Amino acid sequence: MEGESVQQQQERLNQAVQQQLNLEQVKTRAISLFKAISRILEDFDAYARTNTTPKWQDILGQYSMVNLELFNIVDDIKKVSKPFLVYPKNVNADNATILPVMLSTKLLPEMETEDTSKRDQLLQGMQNLPIATQIDKLKARLDMIAGACEGAEKVLADTRKAYCFGTRQGPAIAPTLDKGQAAKIQEQENLLRAAVNVGEGLRLPGDQRHITASLPMHLADVFTVNEGPQSFPEGSSNNVYIKNTPLSSNSMGGQNSLLQNSGSQLLGRSAASPNVATNATFDNTAASPIPYANSPRSSTNMMNTPSPQQQTPQQQQQQPTVQQQQQQQRQKMMQLPQQQQQLLAQQQQFRQSAMQGLGQLHGQHQMQFSQQIGHQQFQGRQLTSGHVQHGIGQSQLNQGNQMARISQFSGAANNALFNAAQTTPNTQMIPNISAGISSQPLLPRMQFGLSGNNPQRNHASQMLSDQMFNMGGGNPGGMMSIQQQQQQQQSSQGAFGGLASNAQNLPSGMMTLQNTQQNHPNFSQQRQQNQQ
Amino acid sequence: MECVVQGIIETQHVEALEILLQGLCGVQRERLRIHEICLKNGPNLGLVASEVRLLCDLEQTEPSWTVRHIGGAMRGAGAEQISVLVRTMVESKVSKNVLRMFYTLGYKLDHELLRVGFSFQFNRGAQITVTVSSVNKMLKLHATDEAVPVTPGIQMVEVTAPASAENYTEVAAAVSSFCEYLAPLLHLSKPGVSTGVVPTAAAAAASLMSDGGGTTL
Repeated sequence: MEGESVQQQQERLNQAVQQQLNLEQVKTRAISLFKAISRILEDFDAYARTNTTPKWQDILGQYSMVNLELFNIVDDIKKVSKPFLVYPKNVNADNATILPVMLSTKLLPEMETEDTSKRDQLLQGMQNLPIATQIDKLKARLDMIAGACEGAEKVLADTRKAYCFGTRQGPAIAPTLDKGQAAKIQEQENLLRAAVNVGEGLRLPGDQRHITASLPMHLADVFTVNEGPQSFPEGSSNNVYIKNTPLSSNSMGGQNSLLQNSGSQLLGRSAASPNVATNATFDNTAASPIPYANSPRSSTNMMNTPSPQQQTPQQQQQQPTVQQQQQQQRQKMMQLPQQQQQLLAQQQQFRQSAMQGLGQLHGQHQMQFSQQIGHQQFQGRQLTSGHVQHGIGQSQLNQGNQMARISQFSGAANNALFNAAQTTPNTQMIPNISAGISSQPLLPRMQFGLSGNNPQRNHASQMLSDQMFNMGGGNPGGMMSIQQQQQQQQSSQGAFGGLASNAQNLPSGMMTLQNTQQNHPNFSQQRQQNQQ
Repeated sequence: MECVVQGIIETQHVEALEILLQGLCGVQRERLRIHEICLKNGPNLGLVASEVRLLCDLEQTEPSWTVRHIGGAMRGAGAEQISVLVRTMVESKVSKNVLRMFYTLGYKLDHELLRVGFSFQFNRGAQITVTVSSVNKMLKLHATDEAVPVTPGIQMVEVTAPASAENYTEVAAAVSSFCEYLAPLLHLSKPGVSTGVVPTAAAAAASLMSDGGGTTL
């Protein structure tokens, strides 16, 4: 190749060599390398001048890049430079001394001695043997060394895995569980998560929900012996819930009763609202927890299922406290579709009779009643239908029960509301009234559409007639809007008048209500209470 | 509000997890024995179903009751980005007649369970509580002494941190970064998302349990 090229006038290199050399590229690379190095040097200058600490990481990185690039260039050239040799054209004072060194192929003396000593070491015992054996022995040595290296690497890798150090390339093959085990664990996991989050698998069937074993300590006080379907406190205007009436005749055992009737117990309770004796003297309102403006306690009259105990003590009995129960009851009643009203009525009748002066047995009867009610309640949950619910709850009324009448609502708006909300006459109900109730006419309950947003504490906006509680003319106070999520805002004073102010928002979902007789002679328009 | 993640761990590795948590949290562990009673409201209490949990701490000499209501979780694209579950939660200490009160209100017992385990409470970007417990069910009503584990071989790990609407992102970040430390032993995820066990758990547990690490290979 050289020969050819030399012969040419212009010393042109062979095309192939030229391509291999790729001089242009080499030039570009060399120039860029030069620039990179000069950049690094500038950086160092800057660091030195500004006296800042250089970021060694970056610098090292740059350096390694430069190094690599240089290496690559040199390597490439070397590959191609075999056919070339250095032919110094110009020898002058500068390079006179160094030229021989650069041109020589002999190693430097130190390098040479090093080389020979290593060679001797290697071929220690093999100088005498023929070359082939020497080669074999060397090969064997190489293999041994390679094997040892591999073993060491393996151990390192295993340990790394075990200790989860991770490698630069990420974890090696992760140990996997076999499928069967994984599936089992997955199953268990689902069980556990479901149990904790939702309660799957933890629910005892109904029949097992009796306390048979002795209660643990922390629950022992909760269910006291006499607790049963709670009765209402007699007389006191508070703490319906706390009182424990001994229910001797109660079929449910003490502790059991609470639990057994956990579903229905409240029903039972609320059914027998102690407030029956609401009579005219809602003086008890004084006793009612008035401060709870939003509490469902409306003026006492609203509540109406007189607890048997209260029948006697009458009027004092207002239990405004029982508001909650009443509410709930009302709600329940409201939920009952019409068909069930009869049944309810009958029940109430029974109840009523049972209630007459049956203080002690109160609980029991309540229980039964409540159970039935409970059942029904669950059936008749939907409130939104336009069911008209008649006020069956006459039986609940105490004799002295003064129900403010719906007709008491003052204000045109209220009247309109009221009228719209009137239910059918209680002809249906009258027969249901047992003798227990003297002359309390039944007031149809109506279900008013509730105006949910009554900011005032006035009940009026939420008037629900409650069947069970025969409130005279719909106790605005006692009416709760079950339908609305809005709190039942009932002032603690049965504010019938309050309706006026709250007639504003009737939800469109007002039920179709029919008119009822509004005038019951027995219900005096008593409670014009604190209408707001 | 709270940020919560759950995970599972095999019972055999619980001790190792305890050691790891001890090292990470720097506090002593507290034993846990909580009787959790879940009540649901009956139909008479309004249209919206609601559930309330009563927690009775049986570890103290005087059992203390807490009521807790867990609300809906945050939803939406933002919530999906976060690796923890953010949900409303209201909690309060109550007196011991709370159960009776709720029964009176009309709530009914839905289910109950007993958690036995330990917990760590510490502050690491947020007030974080890690609870490791075995979940036990009672075959007889309220018979806490005769509770059996729902899943004998697996225990539940829960990491929770209270949050508010303003800082829940930071709290979520703190919780998830803490969870990364537990990665060798278990994976934590939003409640309801199952994770499986971690394959490195055994090795990690072994190393945690070994005396002092640094033993010769």
